[in-house]
Amino acid sequence: MASMEKRLQKELQALQRDPPVGVKVDTDKLTSNLSEWTVNLTGAPGTLYEGENFVLHFKFGSRYPFDSPQVIFGGANIPVHPHVYSNGHICLSILTEDWSPALSVQSVCLSIVSMLSSCKEKKRPPDNAIYVKTCSKNPKKTRWWYHDDQV
Amino acid sequence: MSNCRYTAVATWRWVANDDNCGICRMPFDGCCPDCKVPGDDCPLVWGRCSHCFHIHCIVKWLNSQQVHQLCPMCRQEWKFKE
Repeated sequence: MASMEKRLQKELQALQRDPPVGVKVDTDKLTSNLSEWTVNLTGAPGTLYEGENFVLHFKFGSRYPFDSPQVIFGGANIPVHPHVYSNGHICLSILTEDWSPALSVQSVCLSIVSMLSSCKEKKRPPDNAIYVKTCSKNPKKTRWWYHDDQV
Repeated sequence: MSNCRYTAVATWRWVANDDNCGICRMPFDGCCPDCKVPGDDCPLVWGRCSHCFHIHCIVKWLNSQQVHQLCPMCRQEWKFKE
């Protein structure tokens, strides 16, 4: 078994044994070598996204965890948030330059739930229209500019 | 008793501040995913920040970093503990 698969196997076991609130792996949609995951997120109580359901797609390359996974929102409900583009791409530094191999599916999901939770106003990023028209399908190919730690 | 036989058994453990490597998530008493046998061929190393990893795991991470070499756990600059 490849080392990426071994590590993902461990993560899956831990997530199923002890799932964090609002994070649920859709085990029916796992691919056989675990290179693609679908995770269902629920907006935290007391936040603008309370009770909303979201779908996150993870794609892992063979160099995971040394390389970050590709993470995008999918499905019908893409959260309206200043760091989430309407095509599901997420502007979050831990998904690119601040990635660490100590991070995991669980910590990425919790960071995203917490990013949603701290939002004060539901709106799209200011450059949404142009970004969605011109970006690559893979958000890891975007040169992100991280400028706002407030949300 | 005149016919006394015994079988000696020894165990060993790495003395680490955690049970699992934070990079590969394998137990420290096991080896990294690229090795087959735990022990001296797959040793642990410590950083000055006191975090500990399989040497193969941390070296793979450091080699993949062009600009800064940071500890995966605490993001301080990685220096091997002497």
